[in-house]
Formats: sequence, structure tokens, C-alpha cells
Amino acid sequence: MQIKEIKSKVFSNERLDREEGLWLLKNGSLLDLAEMAEHRRYQYNPEAKVTFVIDSNPNYTNICNVDCIFCAFYRHEGDADAYTYSVDEMIARFKKAEARGVRTVLLQGGVNPALPLEYYTEMVRRTREEVPGIHPHFFSTSEIIGMSHVSGLSIPDVLQKLKDAGLNSIPGGGAEVLSDKVKKKISSKKGTSEDWLSVMREAHKLGYKTTATMMYGHLESDGDIVEHLEVTRALQDEHHGFTAFIPWSFKPGNTPFEKIIETYASGTRYLQMIAFARIFLDNFPHIQASWFSEGKKVGQMALHFGADDFGGTLEEENVHASANFVHTTTIKEMVDLIRDAGFTPVERDTLYNTYAEFKEGEYPASILNSERLHQSVDAGIIMPTIPNMIPLSAVGNG
Amino acid sequence: MLSSKELTFRDSSLIPIWNKVRSGERLLLEDGLALYATHDLIGLGKMADEVSKAKSGDSVYFVLNQKFEPTNICVLSCKFCDFAVKQGSPEAYEQSIDEMLAILNPDIREVHITMGLHPDWEWQHYVDMVRRIKENFPLIDVKAFTAVEIDFFAKKFKKTHEEVLRELKAAGLRTMPGGGAEVFSERVRKLIFNQKIGAKTWFEVHRTAHRLGIQSNVTMLYGHVETYEERIQHMIKTRDVQDETGGFLTFIPLAFQPGDTGIKTRNNFTSAIDDLKTIAISRLMLDNIPHIKAYWVMLTAEVAAVALNFGADDMDGIVGHERIAHDAGATSPMQLAKEKIISIIHEAGKVPVERDVWYNPLHIYPAEGTTIVSKMPYLNSVPFYANYETEIAELKLSPLVPRVFGQFAKEGKIDAGPMSLLDYVANQDDFEMLDYGVAVKGKAYSVLLYSHHEWKNLSGKMIGITAESSTSVELLRVLLENKYGVKNAKFERLHLTSGQNDYNKFDAVLLIGDEALRRWKVGLSTFLNAYDLAEEWYEWKKQPFVFAVWAVRSGIPEAHKQDIIHALETSIIMSKGHYGELGRDHAKKLGLTKEDLRMYLNAFIYRLGDSEKTAMNEFLKEQAVLIS
Repeated sequence: MQIKEIKSKVFSNERLDREEGLWLLKNGSLLDLAEMAEHRRYQYNPEAKVTFVIDSNPNYTNICNVDCIFCAFYRHEGDADAYTYSVDEMIARFKKAEARGVRTVLLQGGVNPALPLEYYTEMVRRTREEVPGIHPHFFSTSEIIGMSHVSGLSIPDVLQKLKDAGLNSIPGGGAEVLSDKVKKKISSKKGTSEDWLSVMREAHKLGYKTTATMMYGHLESDGDIVEHLEVTRALQDEHHGFTAFIPWSFKPGNTPFEKIIETYASGTRYLQMIAFARIFLDNFPHIQASWFSEGKKVGQMALHFGADDFGGTLEEENVHASANFVHTTTIKEMVDLIRDAGFTPVERDTLYNTYAEFKEGEYPASILNSERLHQSVDAGIIMPTIPNMIPLSAVGNG
Repeated sequence: MLSSKELTFRDSSLIPIWNKVRSGERLLLEDGLALYATHDLIGLGKMADEVSKAKSGDSVYFVLNQKFEPTNICVLSCKFCDFAVKQGSPEAYEQSIDEMLAILNPDIREVHITMGLHPDWEWQHYVDMVRRIKENFPLIDVKAFTAVEIDFFAKKFKKTHEEVLRELKAAGLRTMPGGGAEVFSERVRKLIFNQKIGAKTWFEVHRTAHRLGIQSNVTMLYGHVETYEERIQHMIKTRDVQDETGGFLTFIPLAFQPGDTGIKTRNNFTSAIDDLKTIAISRLMLDNIPHIKAYWVMLTAEVAAVALNFGADDMDGIVGHERIAHDAGATSPMQLAKEKIISIIHEAGKVPVERDVWYNPLHIYPAEGTTIVSKMPYLNSVPFYANYETEIAELKLSPLVPRVFGQFAKEGKIDAGPMSLLDYVANQDDFEMLDYGVAVKGKAYSVLLYSHHEWKNLSGKMIGITAESSTSVELLRVLLENKYGVKNAKFERLHLTSGQNDYNKFDAVLLIGDEALRRWKVGLSTFLNAYDLAEEWYEWKKQPFVFAVWAVRSGIPEAHKQDIIHALETSIIMSKGHYGELGRDHAKKLGLTKEDLRMYLNAFIYRLGDSEKTAMNEFLKEQAVLIS
């Protein structure tokens, strides 16, 4: 039987090919997928530990010229709620975040042709100099391609300049689904799969560590998903520069897709994606689940379906919010979610080095513990609310 | 034996537990605790999924229901409840029976009524509530009043529990919901619901209900102050009472919603992992409870969908105006449309089956592209399914009795399975026959006519006939009219749910399948004669009788058809010689010994050859000349 052969391959740590992958994605039961995914997960990360990072996801501009049909965040110059922040303003926000215990900032923005390369290199350099507690995890491949256009420099040169300024990791967004027939339909101005892959390749060659992502749940087929994972896996074989793979479901709210795609893909589909990615991407050290993009309960379940990381605390987030999709958390809740799922929470940095482990009853000594932060589309305004302390009762469960 | 399937586990301490489960051995307290302690959630899920599949195939049941809470005014003030208020409170409300009736519509199949314990409402009000719903909507089944309400009525109106239940049943009450159980632990009761009835009274009420033919559910509220041990004990207590009465239909774990209740728990919501574990462990511990419900209102739709792979085989249908979980902060949307329930079940890879209150299937909603194979739930079909494994994800298995299978096949909803012979004939333009079926030469032991009279004296008499099969009924008619020349017997269809039948009002009763087998050795009521219809046929024609033939719909993909044939062939071959183990638990439930079981199954012919085909045609010839 096909499933027995595939299981046997996975349990002997062999690689699955495209046909096997496609068959598995179509016919594998949820529990069979989970079983195989767990095998791979515990190969890479044998202990019942799950990492997370205390981070923030601000945006420096929402002005963009790529106009992806699935995006509710972008604006054009002259729109009432269009904005661009100066490097000064962003550094000030990073300093506030640092004071609150944020350790890394994932910074992205629209592709804004008004911004010169110096804007970006300044951002990196000044973050390193003035906000040493924050690790800069800045700029997606689209923005880097934009920098290349605006400066006339090649991608490797742009990456080198950013590296000289102090950047050594970039986020994996902008991949969507690495299948050109899909990309043409959903983001025709964004470039091809090869564009994303080549930026990543050059980055890996220069020593950058990056993540790989996938946004599913729109027009893609199972075959496109397998293709996406295959090309990602092949690139990882070249330089082993990816730290983690992160899938999430497309959110149709406030986008033109709203009319044809009623709601975002189900929790079960997400667990399938997590498990399948873990099985297929045999050369990736981490699979990241998100309490944020799919919901806290789904995120917890994903930790048993092959994910070994729970992402960031996302102190600030605007992109999903513009699609009317908002989840909030505190660091305390994040730690509790991981623990209640049966794992020891471990705080890490962007490069997956560990800061600290938290045993039963322990939490990071961070001021963010006692504040629940609102996300606001009106970026920059962060409103701490009344501390949400749930007393730890002696009459516990169990 | 439940399953000969080899499962592998990340946590090897689950292996002895799985061995117990698959050989039908009951799990104990320490097994339950080990299951809560294990980190191998997926391993636990796999075991529960196997049990669930053995009971319900890939079917997940739901019922279109309307929930009513006609009042939130309550004489009690339980700590964990965010719903109850006192009379005079600005949030107090009362819903009149007229208002309730105005909300109902004929698409609703079940009404679920629970509420606060009102200080002033009269007994007649409650009886009228039930009666008027049934009068205005005869197809609606009323599932009303938890044991808490029943006990309250008894005390307030100075009746016994039995009197209360009798009057409500006469007014139209069908089943009781499972609420009010919380946790069957005195320690927990003292802490958070000491004003409410405890386990002893709760079970007393349900025992009485079961005795009166009113089936019921059981709930367990978890995620507050209870320990894991208390949860397992709760399940064990339930299991013990079920051994006595057999009257429980569904077990429903309910995740506690703290909201403003002031009860301190660690977090605002139970962990998804705890939810899944509790569903799975319930399925494994409660070997004698037919169904486990995933209550999506408290779990969230996402967790519920996964729970359907962790042992749950039932989901709540439309829940109208559901207040109790929402006041305490549940996040799920209030009124899930029927389409949404169906889509959740499809996402879980299962087959939505709309059911009545006793889990008889009413409608089936296969996902596009799926091929539904019927699973005949009788002991004699064990060889087909005991080792039946298909590969293609779109092939689903759904347990259906032959007549319902025939009905769904005609509707185009079912695509394969062992069809009752006459159903196959009626649908033969759309179906093609395989070489497998259920035939017997001589005694069948499970197609029995219990009768006060001999054949020739059944003229003009009233015969209760099984609702599960049409072929057996036609065989009866062929024997009566053509063999014995008895032409004017009268027939009345029995209820699909055995407990709802009064066999004594008939002169004769025709039972098939498990219902017949159950009575094979002990007889039925005071009926003196038990005629085996297959034996009667054999005596007359010297031929086997073919009850069912495996058939597949002509339009299904060839790959699906081949996968089904391969699965059947493998199962029949692997099952032969192992009937004693494979059917053992099923047989035990019917009161059969291992020898009975072997004799029974060995009598069946599962591969149809020429003599079976000849016999089929002979029967069809006889059936054609019946005076219809």
C-alpha cells in the first residue's frame, strides 16, 4: 500500500519525491500526516520544547507599487491613510520596544520607490548602534528588489551593503506560493518565484540566515503547494541558509478576493500544511506555527503536528489587521499556551539561539508580562491596557 | 476483537493500553491517567479514531436542533454559572410558549430545552411546553430538562421522579439532555455547585428515565477545579450505570468557560490539547456509550473538526439562541448554519449524516468527489469490514441498515456496499454487481419470524415487520402467499429503534440482523414459534437465499472501484478462520458464545457463484407473482 511505503521511507529518514508528496497531500489522513511529521520533528528537536521569540512587527511605510490583489494593507502616495516614517521615528519606536523587552524587530514595508537605498541602510546601521538590544530582522525580498531598482545596484551588492550596515537575517515573506502560474494571478507585479528564490540564494551565499514562508488558501492547487516546497527544499540543499518554514492562510477580508473566497482556509488545512511541510522539508531545522495567523487553539494543536516553534509575540502588527484579522496576546499567555500544549517554552533569538527556558510557573522577566497591547492600524500608537493578571490559583488542574 | 491493526506509538507505554482496547478489554483508572499523562497526543488520537471508526465508520452525525432557555431566573446560584439571575434582575427574562413556537420551523428535528429553575412557574406550564411543541410540530423530538430540572419539579410539585417523567413522556418528551452532571465528585460539588444535585440523584433520575424508555445523554464539565482522576472516575461511574441500563446515547465533554464566574483557572480557555485528549480518552474509556459529541460552541469550530479525528462522531447542529455558553465568554459564532456544520465535517474528512434523536440516519451529505461505501452494521458482515482498508482518501465508510442504504442509493448519495437484493434490483440501472454478497443455505439464525400462530393460521393476522430491510419482508410475503397460500396477513412497520416497539400488540414479528440474533437463543416475549425464513426457503426450493449483493455505482472512478474490490477481497481472505476473535465483542453484546459465533458466520456464503445467482432469479420470479 502506498501509505505504508511512504511511512516506511519517512521513518527511515529518506526523502519523498514530488509524486509521493502529492499523493500524501491528497490522501494522507490527518493522523498519518501527524505521525510522520512528529517523527521528523523529534529527529531535529528531540525534546518536548518549543521556542518562541519576543518580537514586534512594525511597518515603516504602507505605500507600495506592487499592488498584490490579495493585500489589504497597501496604499498609494496621496491616499488619506498612506504613511512613511522617517528613520528617526522608527528608531524611537524601536527604543521604546527595547525598553519593554522586545528582542527582535521584523520590519517590512510596502515597496515605496520614493525611498533611497540609504534609508534602508541607515535603518539597519542606526538600529545596531543605538538599539543594541534589538536584533534587526529587516526587509523582504520584494523590498530588496525594490532597493535594487531604485539604486541601480545588483541584488548581491544591495545585500552586501545591508550586511555592512549590520543586517544578517531577512524575513521570508513575499513568497506566497512559489508557482508562477499562481503568482501571475495574485501578484502579477511582484515578480516570479525565481525572483524570490534568487534573492534568498544570494543572501544565503553572503551568510544571511532567512526564513521561508508560504501563504496558501487562495487559488493554488495541491500540486502548486508541492512545487513550492520542492523548490524551497532544493534551495536549502544548496546553502542551508533557511532557519524555519512558516505557512499561513490567506485572509480575504478587505481584499478584492473577498468576493470569491469567503473565508480563510480551515484549521484542519493548516495542520495539514504544517505536517506536510515538516515531512517534505527534510532539510529544514524548524517549522514555525502561529498562534497569531490561525488562532491560539489551532496554534497549540500545530505543536503536535510537526511545528517546534511558536513564532513571535508580535507586539505590533498591521498587515493582518488591515484585513480585519486581529489576535492579541501577552508574553505570559504565550508561555502558558506552549506549556498547556505540553511543552517547555524556550525563548530564542532570531537565529534560533536560546536565551532561556521556563519551567513550570516561570516566565520571562519582561515588562511585557503585565501589559496587553492593542494593535492599531494607525501605526505607532500602542495603548497599554489595565494589567491582565490572572491569579495562579492553588486549586489548579490536576 | 476491535481491530487487528498494528499501530505504532511515540510513547511505548501506550502499547499495552492499545492491546487492551483492540482486544475489547475494558480500561481502568490507571489507564485513563496514563492517557492524560502521555505526551503522545497523536498516538492517543489514533487509538480513539480506530474505536470511533469501528462504531461509526466515517460518519459524523448531527441533528438540526433549536435550543431554548425559556428563562434565566433561577432559585440556585451555582458558582460556575454565568447565566442565572434572580427574579427582578434587569437581565431576567421569560420566554412564553407562544414565543417558542413562533421561533420553530418544520426543518428543525429536535428541540433542546434547559433553563433556570423558576420559582413561580406551575407544573402545567412545563407539561404544556412539551405538549404544545409536539402538537404543533409532530416531527420534532423533544429533548428537555436535565436531571436538575426533573428533581426540582419533583420536589416543588410533590411528585416522584417517575411521575414527573411519565407525565412529560405522555406529553411528548422523547429524550433527556445530559446537563447538570458537572463532575461526579463530592469534593468538586462542595467547592462549586453544592446547591445542585450530586451524582447519586443525577443517576437516580436517569435510571428512572431509562426504565421508562426515555434515553439520555451525559455531560462532563472540565477545566475548572477538578483533577484528572476525578475526570476518569466520572467516566467510570457513567460506564457502570450504562452497564445496568444501556440507556445513554451520547457522552459530551464540555470545556469550562470561566468568564465572570470568579472561578480561578489557569487560563481563560482550556488548552486545545486538553480538549482533544478529553475527547479521545472519553472514547476509549466509555466502551459502552455509542457516541461522543464534539460540542463546537465551547471547543471552537477548528478544534471540533480535529476532534472528529480524535474519537468524536457527533456534532451539534444548529443551536438557536444559545445563551449559557456565551454569557461565560465562549468565542464561537452563535448560530452555525447547516452548511457550516457540513463543511466542518467535510474538512475533517468525514461524512455528514443528519440524524434523528436515536441516531437513525435521515439524510447524508457526501463531499464532492467522495465515494461513499455502506457498512452493514450486522454481525454477519464482520468478514467484509474487519480487515477492510482502502487507500484513496475519497473513499468513505458509512454504517447504514439495508433499507436506509437503499433509500440513499436511490437518492444518488451512496455509491457502494452490500445492497439488500431487492434494492439492488430496483437500482440496477445505476449499479453493477460484484461477486460478493451475503447468502445462506439453510438456517440464517438472523431472519426470524416470531409468531403466536403456525404459518397457515396467519391469515388476517397483524405482523410487525422490521424497518431495516425490504428483502426480508418480501421473503416473508413470498413464503406466506406462495409457499403457504396465506394471502391476507396485515403488516405494520416496526420502529427502527428497538426500544420504541411494543411487540406484544402483534400476532407475529419479523426481525432481522442483530435484533434477531439477540433473540435467537432467548426468544422474543411470549411468542412460541420462531421460524427461520432462510431455512423455510431452503426446505421449499433446496436453494440458498441471497440477502444482499455487493454493488458499486456505475459512474464511480475505476480506481475507486478497484480499491473497494481489493479491500473486500483482502478482508474476506484475512478474516476467514478468525471469526471467533473478530466478531467476539459484537457477539458478546448479542449474548452469543464463541461457538455460536463461529457456527453463525461459517454458515454464510460471502462469494456469490452460479447457484447463488440462480437462487436470486428464482426469488425474483416468486416475488413478481405476489399480489401487491
